[in-house]
Order: sequence, then structure tokens, then C-alpha cells
Amino acid sequence: MAQKSGDVVQGTLEMLILKTLALEQMHGYGVALRIEQVSNGVFRVNPGSLLPALARMERGGRVKSEWRSTENNRRAKYYMLTAAGRKALKDETNAWGRQTAAISRILEA
Amino acid sequence: MGIFANLTTGLRSLLGDGRVEREMDEELRGFLESSAEQKVCAGMTPEQAVRAARVEMGSANSVKHRIRSAGWETAIENLCQDLHYSLRMLAKSPVFTLVAVGSLALGIGANTAIFSLMDVVMLRSLPVEDPGRLVLFGQGRMVGSTGGLPNGSSELFSYPFYRSFSEKNEIFSGVAAIDSVEFGTHGSIADAGREMMRASLVSGSYFSVLGVNPERGRLLNEADDKTPGSGAVAVASYAWWQRHGSDPSAINKAVHIEGHDYTIVGVAPQGFFGTTVGESPDFWIPLSMEKEISPGWNGITDKWFQSLYLVARLKPGATAVQAAANTNLVFKQYIRGEYLGQSPSPKDLADLQQAHVELTSAARGLSRLRVEFSLPLEILIAIAGLVLLIACANLANLLLARSAARSREFAMRMAIGATRSRIVRQLLTESFVLALAGAAVGIALAWKASHLLLTMASSGPQVAAMNVSPDLRVLAFTLLLTVFTAFLFGMAPAIRATRLDLNGSLKQSRGAAKPSSRFSLSRGLIVVQIALSLVLLAAASLFLRSLVNLTRVDTGFDRQNVLVLGLDEYSAGLPLDARLVNLQKQIEGRVQALPGVHAASFSMFTFNQGMWSDDISVQGIPRTSDNSHDALFNVIGKDFFSTMSLPIVAGRGFDSTDKIDSPKVAVINQTMAKMLFPESSPIGHRFGFGDDPSHSADFEIVGVVKNARYVGLQEDPQAVAYFPYSQRVQYFGNFAVRYSGEAAQMIPAIQRAIAEVNPNIPIASTSTLAEQVDESTATQRLIARLSAFFGLLAVFLVCIGIYGLLSYAVARRTSEIGVRMTLGAKRSNVRWLILREVLVLAAIGIVLGVPVALEGNHLVAKAALRAQSGRSSEHDRGRRDADCDRDPGRIFAGTPSFAG
Repeated sequence: MAQKSGDVVQGTLEMLILKTLALEQMHGYGVALRIEQVSNGVFRVNPGSLLPALARMERGGRVKSEWRSTENNRRAKYYMLTAAGRKALKDETNAWGRQTAAISRILEA
Repeated sequence: MGIFANLTTGLRSLLGDGRVEREMDEELRGFLESSAEQKVCAGMTPEQAVRAARVEMGSANSVKHRIRSAGWETAIENLCQDLHYSLRMLAKSPVFTLVAVGSLALGIGANTAIFSLMDVVMLRSLPVEDPGRLVLFGQGRMVGSTGGLPNGSSELFSYPFYRSFSEKNEIFSGVAAIDSVEFGTHGSIADAGREMMRASLVSGSYFSVLGVNPERGRLLNEADDKTPGSGAVAVASYAWWQRHGSDPSAINKAVHIEGHDYTIVGVAPQGFFGTTVGESPDFWIPLSMEKEISPGWNGITDKWFQSLYLVARLKPGATAVQAAANTNLVFKQYIRGEYLGQSPSPKDLADLQQAHVELTSAARGLSRLRVEFSLPLEILIAIAGLVLLIACANLANLLLARSAARSREFAMRMAIGATRSRIVRQLLTESFVLALAGAAVGIALAWKASHLLLTMASSGPQVAAMNVSPDLRVLAFTLLLTVFTAFLFGMAPAIRATRLDLNGSLKQSRGAAKPSSRFSLSRGLIVVQIALSLVLLAAASLFLRSLVNLTRVDTGFDRQNVLVLGLDEYSAGLPLDARLVNLQKQIEGRVQALPGVHAASFSMFTFNQGMWSDDISVQGIPRTSDNSHDALFNVIGKDFFSTMSLPIVAGRGFDSTDKIDSPKVAVINQTMAKMLFPESSPIGHRFGFGDDPSHSADFEIVGVVKNARYVGLQEDPQAVAYFPYSQRVQYFGNFAVRYSGEAAQMIPAIQRAIAEVNPNIPIASTSTLAEQVDESTATQRLIARLSAFFGLLAVFLVCIGIYGLLSYAVARRTSEIGVRMTLGAKRSNVRWLILREVLVLAAIGIVLGVPVALEGNHLVAKAALRAQSGRSSEHDRGRRDADCDRDPGRIFAGTPSFAG
């Protein structure tokens, strides 16, 4: 396993989850795996943070869930984006873009 | 998830529906399995993979807890859990719970009871429309009537002035007049028997100015108050109506009072008690009937007879400042025009300069109780507050000790995933449960206690008519107090308890006796408690000492073995002439003939019943600042002095030769003799009321009597003159009887003797002179008793606190003590080790407490002095009470106080 992996940047977990779910609906472990893989192992999402975050987002109406069979024929809870979730993703991505651009400018100045 | 789905999921998990829980378990399990599979793919053995996956996830319970806290229902669930757990923990240690709830109940109950009294007396607004717009002319400190030219801040006003002012005024939307005296009298409805009734005489505008609507029928209006004697109607109070079965047919019935019938035209709304806090009349009767209710009074036409309170409502937009300017302008014009005549004397003009009206807010009604009780209530609530503080400190201490004993439990809970805030919340919940239980018991106590307080505080047999049961405002106060106390005693222990070294706490079954900061906090609390209780004890001893001093005051008269009966003489239906004097003489004679009776006499006043005072001038002696003090007056029967055991020191007392047509005589007391005639004998000299030289020969001094207290125990020696009732005909309320033997057997015998003379004279009240003296110190007695009670309570609480601290300390140091004793320490050494600690704490507490107590006593003494000087200036003003030329006519039975 990647030794340098760590937690995601504070406050971005929900955005990462939204982005991951925007591509396709998946279950909790799928989200964790996808984030880890796409980030090349830089970010590792602990179930202790991921599942409460999903529950929070579900309560907040940004994602909805459904019990379905997995490819291995197990029952799993699949999460998918709602319209509110899509909008939230767009807003948060924009905000993030502005923030990182600003930070880069400061660092390069 | 929509709001609806959110709600249903929340409710489902709250109501213990297993599905939410099962789904959560399943999701977690799925996650673990997928994670393990992935790790196997990456090359781990299945065992390694499962283990690694579990390590990554951490405590499944903790994860589930965090998932659950995403929903609103968790807050409620946690609360329920906390409550449940708290109740279990408290039930496990019943002694602790009992002590905690008990001390809180006493603390909160005392504060609630005193606050509910404060609320009624000082804070609550009148139950009328927009009370904030009501103003009172003057401060409402005086009761009775004054006769002179207004020459200061006016408190009482004449009916003609009220009429004239109502017409001229431009700043008020309405003005109402209220007779300052609430009349206690006997009346009857239809064929029913006679009952005690309290009537308030008010102007026709009274109810409309207050903005009060009738419960039944109608209220009074201007037409009822048009011409003297024309408004024989009455409005009943809701309380009276309720006492008579809330009978709708009561309206239009006639109530028979003092020989006149008054038609009941309506019922006032529930909760409306009039405008004076502490009085609640049964009937409101138009002022036009003043002469019928009180024959000696003819205030309707007499501008010198000033006996009314004026209450007015500001016009919308008018300010209090404008109103005061406008009112004073009209007032001065009126005095100038109506009182002074064409060529006023320089003194009259000087008086006019001084005369003014002070407008005060009438939002909370009129209340002499407020003047009288504000300071005592403030002192008491400060004391009760200190007791509550001590109780809080005590409880904080007990909780600290408990939480130390529970440190393993907390460490365990934190180790398996409870957050610190969760445990603090749980501990605070315990504190709140304790505080709420204490508050519940406290409110129940207060319910009883506030009535008890009122009874104790009321001077005289008549308890002030007030509703002191805690209402919503008081309950809100208590709730706030409870929350505050819970935080006060709960917060520190909860925070301390969770500041744990997990490893250490779990390993040790019992903490070693290291001097922890927790321990020094509880020591600090004990020191504070000792200091505070010392302050309370010092205050209590101060109040007790002043009470003892008061009871030792020589009243001059002998208070033992004297009955004081309140007679309603007016019911005999005799006019104010020789026939009445005859009746009074007959009653005195018949009662004095009874075996066991030594002397009996009617009198205007006995002791502490108000006063009649005026200026005097002596024939042939020019007025100087030394001899022109006011004097107090009393009208008495010829045997009054022997009834009161007051010896004549010079000249003679009154006898049967003092008739209505013989020369007017007076007996003066030693103080008056010394003031007026420092060098010579006063016998044979003459004096008169007021500063008019033409009247200075009205009364001849025939005797000097020993000094006796008149208004109260604290008064300075006062100049007093006595007049025989045979020369000043009037109705009396007081009939004093000196007897020997049993009072209980005496009273019926006296009653029979009076009935033999005239069967129509009811006895409104019976008390003794000793009781009257005691009642004059009711307020001091109340404060002394309560402060002593609270002081002892504080000491008791501190004892519990010290005991708790010690037993905890000893328990912690058991092993240390064991080691010491093994090494050869004697029992006495160990005992000293423990005792020394207490002594040090006590010493620090005393060192801190003594200066605070001294300073506190100083403050209280200063406040008491201020209150007293306030009261004496009140008396100065009160001295204009009741003018010489206008007999008050009668003192009504059951109207104990006649002057401010």
C-alpha cells in the first residue's frame, strides 16, 4: 500500500464524493476505492468518515440511495446524485477552482 | 432525501424500528468484506486482509455512532439516553440524591417564595389596559385626610379640586379619584346575615380611566357620581361574586351598608383588585355616596378636606414631563384662586411657592407595602440567593467527589468511543435532572411558603389581600434560576471529570492520593461556603439583636392584660351627638362592672394604628423653632389612662365633670410639657390647633401624663395631647379593657355586656395590646426569623459539604493511612492529620468571611438607617393628616392603619 497516503484535504470530502458519484452510482466501498485509485493513493478515505458523510448528504438531499445487488451478487447500498447534488457539485467545484487558483497565485508570487 | 423522508427515517430510528439499524450493520459489513476482498487481490492472505480492513475501519460502534449523528433524531435519542442513565445513576445513590434535591429545593424554594412576594409587591403591573400610561398624583404614601393649605409635595386631594382639574386638564384623556381609605364595614344582602365588607369609594370615571370591562352588568359611570347622595349603586369584585356562588341574579340585588341600600349593577373582571396593591375591596361605590358611607366626612363639597388619590391616563403622545408641567400649572392656579382669597399672607404665599404635585407612574398600582417592604424583600432575596450559592457550591463539591469515584467509568466510556463532549453532556444532564427535581419540590414549597411569608409580614390580624401564588412570571424566574444553578454546580465537575489520563485511570482501581487540582477546587469551594455562611450568620445576629432591642423598648403603657376590641359603633345607628356619648359611657360602665375588669375605655388610637397630628400654638408664648413642633393627638374615655396603666404625674385626668358644654380640657404628656414649658408647670395654660393666635386658648391643660409610645417602638419621644370624647363626639373603633384572669372567658362576657347595652354593635376584631405591640415589629420579626433560619440552613449545608469532602479524602488516603500506621503513627496522629485539614479550611474561611461580614453588616445598617430616615420624613408629611376642625368622624372597624 502507498505509504504516503493520507486523509483528504479538510472540507473537500463531500466534493470528492459528489464528483465520484457524478460519473456513476456506486456503493460506499466503491467510492472509497475510486477516490484512492484516482488520486494515485494520495488520499485514502476511511469508512469512519465516508459513511457518516454519505449519511449526512443523504439527509441533506444531495444523494439518494437504493439497495441493489453487486457484481458479486451481494446486496449493497448504492448511492446516486440528486439534482440538488449536481448543483452542489457545480458550486463547490467553482468555489474550489477559485480558491486553488488564488492559493497558487500567492505561492508563485 | 426530502423533508418528509428525513422525518420518517428519523422517527423510525427514534421509535426503535430495527430496520435502520440493520441496514447500517449490513452496509458496514459489506464495506468490510469488499475492502478485505480488495486486499486479498493485492496479495494479502485472507486473515491479514480481514484484520487490516478492521483496523482501517476502527470501532464499528464508533462509525455507526457517527452515521447516526447525521440525523436530527440522534439529539433526542441522546437526550433520552442521558436522562435514562442519569435517573439510574441517581437512583443508585439515594442519599446523595436526597441531599442534593433537598438542598436545592430549599434554595430554589426560598428564592421563588421571596421572588413571588417581590413580584406582587414591587414588580407586577395592574391588570388594566396599557398600565404604562397611568400616572398617580403624588407617591400614594398617605392614607386619611389632610386639612391645611398644600405646602409641599401633595399626596391627597379634595373632591372639588378633582372636579375642577378634570374640566381644565388638557393633557390627560381621563382623571379618576379614589378615596385613600378603604372602608371596612358591615353589610348584608337581602335577607342574608351581616358580613364584613370592604368598600372603595371611587369617582365615576374610575373604571373608564383604567380601561376595565365588566365581567357582568355594567361598571360605574359619570352619572353615578353627579350629585352628592345620588349614586346608590355598587360594583362587586369578582372574588366577592365568586364567594357568593357566582350567582348571575346577584346583579340588581341590593346590598345594605350602614343604613343605605346600594344596587349591585355589575361585577368587575376576574383578577381586578382595584388600584392599591394589598387591598382588595368587595365593592366599588361612587364617591357621591361618601357622606352615607362615612358620616363624618363631607369631602364632596369641602375643598379643605383632602383625602383622595388622583390617577390619570396620559393622552396618546403626551409625555410625562409635559403632564407634570401642565398639572402643576393648573394646581397652583387652583390654590391661588380657591384657597388664598384676595389678600394672602406672606406665609400663605410661601406655602404656595412650595406646593407642587409630583407625578409618579401608576403602572404597578399604589402601594404602601412597596415602600414598607422593598428593603426587607431585597435583603431577604439577597440572603436567599447566598443560601442558593452555598447549596450550589455544596453540590458541586459532592459531584466532584462522585465524578472522582466514577473516573474509571468515564475512562472506559471514552476508550470505547464516547467523545468528551458526549460525557460532559451526560453529566450536565444529571445536574439538570437534579436541578429540575429540586425546582419542582422548591415550587411546591414556595406555594406554601409565600402565603406563610405574607401572613408573617402582615402587621395586624388582616392579611394583606394579595395573590402570591407563583404565576407564570415567577415560574419563568424559577426555571431560569434552575438552569443557572445547574450550570453553576454542574459545569466544573463535568469538565474536571472528563479531563482524564485514560491509561492511568483505567489501570488504577483507585487513584493514589496525589494532591490533584480537583481536590484543591473542592477545598476552595468549602472555604467559600464557610465564608458565606459566616456572612449569613453575622447578618442574622444583627437582625436578631435589633429585634431584641425593639422588644425591650419601654412602651410607657403596660401591654399585659389589655384586650383591644374593634367595635363597629356606627351600626348602632346613633347620630354624632350626646346620645352617642351616652351609649359609649354606658358600654364603658357596664363592662367595668364585670368581675375581673379593672378599667375600660374607648379611644381613637391605642398603639401603632396611625396618627392624628397638627401644629399647635400656646396662648401667651410666642412661637419659636423650639416649641412649634407638631403634636400628636388622641381622643379617649375618662378611664383610658388607668386602662393603659399610665400614671398622671401632675394635675388631674379626665372625669365626669368634663362635659360637652364645660370648658374644653386636655391632658398632655411629659414630652409636650417639657417642650412647651421647660421652666414652669403647664397646668392651667391654654393651647390651640394651628398657627392662628385667635384659637390659641381653645384647650386648657388640666394634667400631665407619663410618656407612652404612639405610632411605633422606634419613634423618638413625641409630644402628645389627649382630649376627652365627651367634648369631641365621634365614633370609635377601639375599645380597650384591662382585665385579670383568662382572656378567653373575658371576651364573651364583654360581648354580652355590650349586647345588653345595644344589640346592634358587632365586634369586628379582638386582639390584645401585647399583640398590637408585637405586630408593630412584624417586618423586623420576619427578617430576623428568616435570616436566622437561612443562617442555620447555610451552616447545615456547609457541614454536609465538609463531611462529604472529608469522607472522600479519607477514602482516597486509606492506603496512605495504612502505611503511616504500619510505620508507627498513632491513631491520634492520623486523626490530627485529617482534622488539621478541616481546621485550616475553616480558618481560611473565617479570615475571608469576617471582613465580608463586617462590610455586609455595615451596608445593612446603612440601608436600615436610610429606610428609617425615609420613614420619618414620611411621618413629617403624615402629620398634616386629619385636620383639627374636621373630625374624621369615625375610624372604621377593620381599618387598622389610618396614617401613612
